[in-house]
Amino acid sequence: MSLFSWLELIASGLITGGIYALVALGLNLQYGLMRILNIAHGEFLMLGAYLTWMAHTTLGISPLLMVPVSFLALMALGLVIHKLCFRRLTVTSPNLDIFEARGLMVAFGLMFLVQNFASFMWGGDLRGYDYLAEPVKMGEAQFAGNKLLVFGLALLFSGALIALLRFTLLGKGVRALMQSPTGAQLVGIDTQRLHPLMFGIGLGLSGVAGCLLSMAYTITPSMGEPYTVTALIVITLGGFGSMSGALAGGLLLGVVEALGMHFTNPSLKALLSYSVFIAVLLLRPRGLFAK
Amino acid sequence: MVQSSKRQLLKGAAAAVGAAAFAPSLFAQAGPVRIGYAIARTGPWTGGAQVSQEPNYLLWAEQVNAAGGLDVKGTKRPIELISSDDRSDIETCVRSYEKLMGSDKVDLILPPWGSNANFAIAPLANRMGYPVLAPTALSRKLVELKLPNFFLLLQQPDRMVGALVDMLVANGVKTVAVIYVDDLFGLENFSALKVALRSTSIQVVEEKSYPGDIKDLSPVLRSIKDKNPEAFIGLSYPPDTILASKQSKEIGFNPRFYYASVGTAFQLYRNVMTPAGAEGVLGMGSWNSKTSPGAKAYFDAHTKKFGGKEPDRWASGHCWAGLEILQAAVAKSGLDRKAIRDYIAGNTHKTIIGDVKFTGSENTATPGTVGQWQNGEFEVVWPTKVATAKLSLVKPAWK
Amino acid sequence: MKDKQILVRDLLLLLAFAGWALALPHYGSEFVVSMALTCLMYVALSSSWGLFCGSTRYLSLATSAFFGIGAYTSAIALEKMAWLESIALGAGIATVVAVVMGAAVLHLRGTYFAVLTFGMTELIRHAVTYFEKKVTGTVGRVLTVVPDRDTIYLTVLALAVLAVLVSIIVRRSRFGLALMGIGADEQRAQTLGVNTRLIKVAGFAMTAAFAGAVGAAMAVRWTYIDPHTVFNPFIGFQTVLIALIGGAMTLWGPLIAAIVFSVLAETLRLQAPQVYMMSLGLLLILSVLYLPGGLASLRWATFSGWWRDSRGWARGLSRKERKNG
Repeated sequence: MSLFSWLELIASGLITGGIYALVALGLNLQYGLMRILNIAHGEFLMLGAYLTWMAHTTLGISPLLMVPVSFLALMALGLVIHKLCFRRLTVTSPNLDIFEARGLMVAFGLMFLVQNFASFMWGGDLRGYDYLAEPVKMGEAQFAGNKLLVFGLALLFSGALIALLRFTLLGKGVRALMQSPTGAQLVGIDTQRLHPLMFGIGLGLSGVAGCLLSMAYTITPSMGEPYTVTALIVITLGGFGSMSGALAGGLLLGVVEALGMHFTNPSLKALLSYSVFIAVLLLRPRGLFAK
Repeated sequence: MVQSSKRQLLKGAAAAVGAAAFAPSLFAQAGPVRIGYAIARTGPWTGGAQVSQEPNYLLWAEQVNAAGGLDVKGTKRPIELISSDDRSDIETCVRSYEKLMGSDKVDLILPPWGSNANFAIAPLANRMGYPVLAPTALSRKLVELKLPNFFLLLQQPDRMVGALVDMLVANGVKTVAVIYVDDLFGLENFSALKVALRSTSIQVVEEKSYPGDIKDLSPVLRSIKDKNPEAFIGLSYPPDTILASKQSKEIGFNPRFYYASVGTAFQLYRNVMTPAGAEGVLGMGSWNSKTSPGAKAYFDAHTKKFGGKEPDRWASGHCWAGLEILQAAVAKSGLDRKAIRDYIAGNTHKTIIGDVKFTGSENTATPGTVGQWQNGEFEVVWPTKVATAKLSLVKPAWK
Repeated sequence: MKDKQILVRDLLLLLAFAGWALALPHYGSEFVVSMALTCLMYVALSSSWGLFCGSTRYLSLATSAFFGIGAYTSAIALEKMAWLESIALGAGIATVVAVVMGAAVLHLRGTYFAVLTFGMTELIRHAVTYFEKKVTGTVGRVLTVVPDRDTIYLTVLALAVLAVLVSIIVRRSRFGLALMGIGADEQRAQTLGVNTRLIKVAGFAMTAAFAGAVGAAMAVRWTYIDPHTVFNPFIGFQTVLIALIGGAMTLWGPLIAAIVFSVLAETLRLQAPQVYMMSLGLLLILSVLYLPGGLASLRWATFSGWWRDSRGWARGLSRKERKNG
């Protein structure tokens, strides 16, 4: 294979990885901060995709415009869900383990609810639309315009989140809470406000990922689940709670998958991903990049 | 939204059939002929079932009732369809048919969608003596079950793939690349392909399998593009067919012959790829409205009834043919299921897709065929004796 | 109620249930029997799941893996062995896999464990697909030797009754107490001398045995099985849902919930199939939030508690209005 073909392969892996990172970041935020393992995360990605598709095909709104709209819409949904479902759990659970377990179960129920709601609303047919699908040539390599856009925006949002957490006061508060919940509260950081906000941002990111994905891929009610699973693998690789770990892990996973598919079969890709996942969970549960 | 109009159409159709059944004075004596089935209206199988199968059942019942009813050995009786959603779940499917045949004791049954569901109900129907004409079951293993009451209408893998290989050989193709989906369909077709290729001088430059829920085929397609084969063969289902086509366009992979098995025969393919984009793409298809006057009448009736939704150019036609055969069988043998079964097994039937004759469970009269998109229509281009158009040797660049 | 009285009550209830289920094929239609079959399948699955996972709070999502292993075993074994032996073999192989899996992962807690069992299920599914493709050159298997409907029904019934019986016995044994102890406070249990590792693996293996046996029995109904159908994660999800909503820690909770859901599923299927799944999800959320003990823990006190809660909430709302208004 020529050099350009190699570059193409790795680049396409990075593009896929960018999406993985975006989805994983949202999940990581929720787990790292609130110990809520939201396995319904992918379903909200799917909602973002459907929203964008509906807006584009019925109202003619450009998907680019839908990016911030999806973010805000799903963030609002996240705030509502946190208030309705998870707040009560924080109050009524006797200890952290039970809270985690109950949170997992609630997320489980949400997964069922949202996925079937989408199936009910929009039916099981494949849907999709074309946006910027014309190929863009970069030297000898060729990529779809929308894929490049997706990659760029994914990196942008990921970078923005990491910057938010590192440089703003709000971000510092979140990181403090992640490190030591009681300590943070002692110095006056308001969990009541931060938790729902961060949960909302997590879901918002998921919505953005869905919006971006809808530009390039077909949309079905069950499209979210594989991304939840991949996000889980990514945050395991990167370490629960580490944002930059999630970014690095996502990109890495994308490239590894692309290379794996080239050297072996795509059929083995799933086998490989899960084996890596389980191996990391068993041997280095704090993540590949943990010090 | 498509969902509500579909539901309205279903409701309208059901109402029409119901109304027909409730006007006994219009029909001579005896009660309605009760025909039962379960089909996927929700779940993963819905796409296929609602394009290739259920609309045909509804259209048929409506047409027959409008003409006075089903001819049962001279007496015309209205058709009453008794149906339910199998939720794309095998256990539900089995249970529905147990109810239809065991408790409700319907006169006839129509099959569900897909090989898996047919595998599950075939032994059951056989045991209870109900003949089944299945238009969406594809597997040599089903044929090998040797169930006397079960008939498969589609051409089985070896014949479809054999036709493709013949066509490639006749056009001097030397190299192919193959991808196939990781399930019985993909595997059987792939094995059949390898067998067929063995006696030719065609070289396989790449063969890769992939899981059914794959999201991204571009790494595989890129490495195939690098090897520059003359023909690309995708043994895939509609979602992956579309994915492969779109991603081939993305990366600029455009071999002389581009074949994707299932999904290319669907109107959906043309809608998603646009007629210009679909031009030249090959796939599994065995008829269109040019095949026979009956086919054209069926095509027009289907499109009219379902608001522009066209039947697909493969399984839909076979489904309608199966209904035609059933209708003729009932006219000849009444509702004696054993006699119906013997009629189906023992005769050559003239249908909209041509002759249909069963050797055991398999339809051996319809030859393996290859279809191609030309000017917005999926034409049959091989073999020449059933072709509706000539094979176009120029595949334009993806649009 | 005294302990012995409770035991007698439980056994009598089980006997009544078994008797009723046994009589069903004689007076019920094919359809009702078929419904009962699915119901009994979930009784067996969720009761055995609840016994281990409810007590120890280790949420296992691996039920589908063991179910699939059992199904594949009977598909292969039925050509050479008798019915009951195939079922036993299915249970046996599932148990062995569970012991291996358990030994490797049972030291992780809570969410890690749940996620890991899910990952392992998918891993097994993909591994079986790959193995079948490469080594045996096929995907999926056709079951040619199929016993009649009544045999299948009786087998699944026996498994369901056995699951509940084992539940009854284990809960009164030291093993059961150890399981509860692990659920309440694992470290404390360890310091008190309980061999937590062994107990956990044993409990996990037990859920696997039942799931494997049930899978082996149900596979014959589908004639053709492939990894996608028998390793379907939904089987595991539904088991967990039923057990949790019924009350995973209780004896009768899973059984009650299994019956309720089978009926609900059938009724809703004919009207609005997605509504069934949505209501499953909604019910789970509601039960985790407001009824963590599950349906079986419903008492009069719970209702009065809810009434008080809702009045308090309404009062709080009107207070806010007064403040703002």
